[in-house]
Amino acid sequence: MLPIELYEGLETAWCPGCGNFALLKAFKQALAELDIRPQDLLVVSGIGQSGKFPHYLSCHTFNGIHGRTLPVGTGARLANPDLKVVCVAGDGDCYGEGGNHLLAALRRNVDLTLVVHNNQVYALTKGQASPTTDQGLKTTLQPQGVPYLPLAALALAVSQSCSWVGRGSATDPVHLQELYQQAISHRGFALLEVLQPCVTFNRVNTYQWYRERVYRVEETPDYDPENELWAYQKAKEFGDRIPTGVIYRHPRPLLEESHPALAAGPLVRQQPERDINQLLADFF
Amino acid sequence: MPVDLNILIGGAAGQGVHSITLPLAKTLMRQGCWVLGTQDYQSRIRGGHLFNKIRLADQPLFSSREGVDLLIALNQETVALHHRELSPRGLIIYDASEVKELPSSIPALALSPETLLPEAQGKAEIAVNAGACGAVLGLLKVPLGPLLALLKEAFEDKGREVVEWNVQAATRGYEQAGAQAFGFSLAGVSPAPEPRLLISGHEAMALGALAGGLQFISGYPMTPWTSLLNAVAQRAPRYQVVVEQAEDEIAAINLAIGASYTGARSLVGTSGGGFCLMTEALGLAAVTETPLVIVVSMRPGPSTGLPTRTEQGDLSFVLYAGQGDFPRAVLAPGTPAQGFALMAKALNLADRWQLPVFLLTDQYFADTQFTHLPGEFPEVRVDRGLATGPAPGVYQRYAYTPDGVSPRRLPGFGPELVVADSDEHTPDGHLTEDLAVRVQMHDKRLGKLKGLVQELGGITSAGAPDAPLTLICWGSSLGPVQEAVARLQAGGTPARMVHLSELWPFPAAAVAAALSKSKKLVMVEMNATGQLHRLLRQETGIKADHLVLKYDGAPFTPEYILRGLSGVV
Repeated sequence: MLPIELYEGLETAWCPGCGNFALLKAFKQALAELDIRPQDLLVVSGIGQSGKFPHYLSCHTFNGIHGRTLPVGTGARLANPDLKVVCVAGDGDCYGEGGNHLLAALRRNVDLTLVVHNNQVYALTKGQASPTTDQGLKTTLQPQGVPYLPLAALALAVSQSCSWVGRGSATDPVHLQELYQQAISHRGFALLEVLQPCVTFNRVNTYQWYRERVYRVEETPDYDPENELWAYQKAKEFGDRIPTGVIYRHPRPLLEESHPALAAGPLVRQQPERDINQLLADFF
Repeated sequence: MPVDLNILIGGAAGQGVHSITLPLAKTLMRQGCWVLGTQDYQSRIRGGHLFNKIRLADQPLFSSREGVDLLIALNQETVALHHRELSPRGLIIYDASEVKELPSSIPALALSPETLLPEAQGKAEIAVNAGACGAVLGLLKVPLGPLLALLKEAFEDKGREVVEWNVQAATRGYEQAGAQAFGFSLAGVSPAPEPRLLISGHEAMALGALAGGLQFISGYPMTPWTSLLNAVAQRAPRYQVVVEQAEDEIAAINLAIGASYTGARSLVGTSGGGFCLMTEALGLAAVTETPLVIVVSMRPGPSTGLPTRTEQGDLSFVLYAGQGDFPRAVLAPGTPAQGFALMAKALNLADRWQLPVFLLTDQYFADTQFTHLPGEFPEVRVDRGLATGPAPGVYQRYAYTPDGVSPRRLPGFGPELVVADSDEHTPDGHLTEDLAVRVQMHDKRLGKLKGLVQELGGITSAGAPDAPLTLICWGSSLGPVQEAVARLQAGGTPARMVHLSELWPFPAAAVAAALSKSKKLVMVEMNATGQLHRLLRQETGIKADHLVLKYDGAPFTPEYILRGLSGVV
């Protein structure tokens, strides 16, 4: 196990009491437990409070733009599969702005971990509805209440045979650390959604609200995360009871394995030399 | 008498216009002709009208031209649309099973599937396509052997029967045409001692990318950009390139940025509307100083515009796309050989200066096949511009340096952590709202332009060096303008072409020097507003006397340019 101080980053700029603190601590503990050195880890983020996450760590960092963590992380991973890649996004970032990239990532199955910080609200822009905001919730932008159904992202992931689907909660940090470890260790695309109370802009989905609802799915007798129909039922469950833990697991071939170019090792370690006469041969 | 012959092959999409063009063009190129092949097609998979043109000469060719000497009509519509373009010596070859009405004044040669391939009724397409190829060689008095060899090569994987049908139909077409009188002959043209190449602009750029060490390419299909993506993809397994077809252009550019940040030589490309989507991440590449080459292959806009036609209408867009100020380079090749060289140069510039580099092409450049000499595709030097050895002190990805280029390291190659951010950031890569740092970092990035411009020039001149009349053009207009200038000179009007292929940062001093002796300046551009002209005025204060513009979607011809000069010359 590596010392946790190794991952110490900048001083945080989150609100006091923000759910993200529990995520940051559990994430660092998971890295230490997994012996992942900072120089072997790339964390890609977008925009939102989750976007700042890698700055508060010590590792390779690419803080890109809103919604685009997945394509950046996928490109990075294809170029250098020796790196552990973790993409960090928010609910607005990943399920809203970057929705098409999530669909593609589910199909691709590149070996990276996507962590979606889900606080069910747009916090950085001060309290508008996100794709996961409860229907009917009144916000500054939706004074009559949000008319849309929240996105059931985990059910979507299960339906698309996502390689690993899990949910953690800031209210259960010990469990969350285990889930980080499992998601990062999983071979294939892992989607870990983490419930993360926003203490400033979401006065409904509070710590208390989550504590009363969240349970560990592995405590369900005989629960089998490789049973797709059961996983689908659990992934759809979000209300009086909210399951956390490994919801679904589905081993699949990796995108990396489909690229013959990667058989000779990471692209970034190759030094391509192409003979010009061979290149021209098709055109004589 | 010099040979200069225009063949037009027309039909509906799916009838095999390309199946005739490709073997014919290649055979004639191998026989010693200079060949220039252009495509004109609609945005549909079947039906409609499309045509290819093959221009043949015994001298180097730079451009297509107007007029038709040999019309190959696979359907009635082709005759109706093109017979008026036929020259006085012109001839029509037609598929007798499709074409029923012909203008009586024009000699014509009928090809019928029944007589070309009696042994395989129902294979009319093979019969007519191969038969037409053979007939053209028969008319032009060119040996048939090389075509037969090429057909065998092309259809080898479809089985012996298909090869045999093609050979028989081509042979009968050759025999049937032998007795037909035709005013053109290639009997005096013989294969060149050094083999030549028949290559399109995008194919040459794909080779330039591979020779230049390309490792990663991503894109979303869109005409006309797709042909470059395809040309790389077909060679990717052999040359160890990762090709990712993205879910959209936003993903395409972010994939390439991720791969490049990590250290793979990366390329992305698109056309028109696709680049609108990429604009968001263009600034990301710029602010994170991630090397990236972006191909924008132009077609007429706005919006969907004319999807399969050509224009040079996105220069201003590419020069100014993205919020805020940041450095970029914009290159625009005029020939496949330039495309090859500029692609390799773009990859080096992107790595060395850590910024986005554009290559502007268009449908005409993308699809047109030119004849080149292999010597025009030299070995390429690869310069990754990476820092090596241990970093002194704590590594800062965005350390201030005199030329604005910070030592670049790759994640996973040492203990140094590579921190990149789309927010304004400190030298160590972390986000900041320190306004003084913002000014310093902005100046650092923009300061690169001073050094970058030193590496640009890209001025090609042709014609009389001190002619008072100068035609200025850029990108794919090179060939038509070069021929227009040659025709002016031949007609006794001294003229000169100045072609720019490296447009930003604008090589103002070199351009001003190149234009200093001209008395009359004419801008020749494939857009409605003179986008290079605006840039020229902005950067040098030089104003052209006259603009020859075209924006109907069809490429320039020398004739069009000369007509545009009437009243000026």
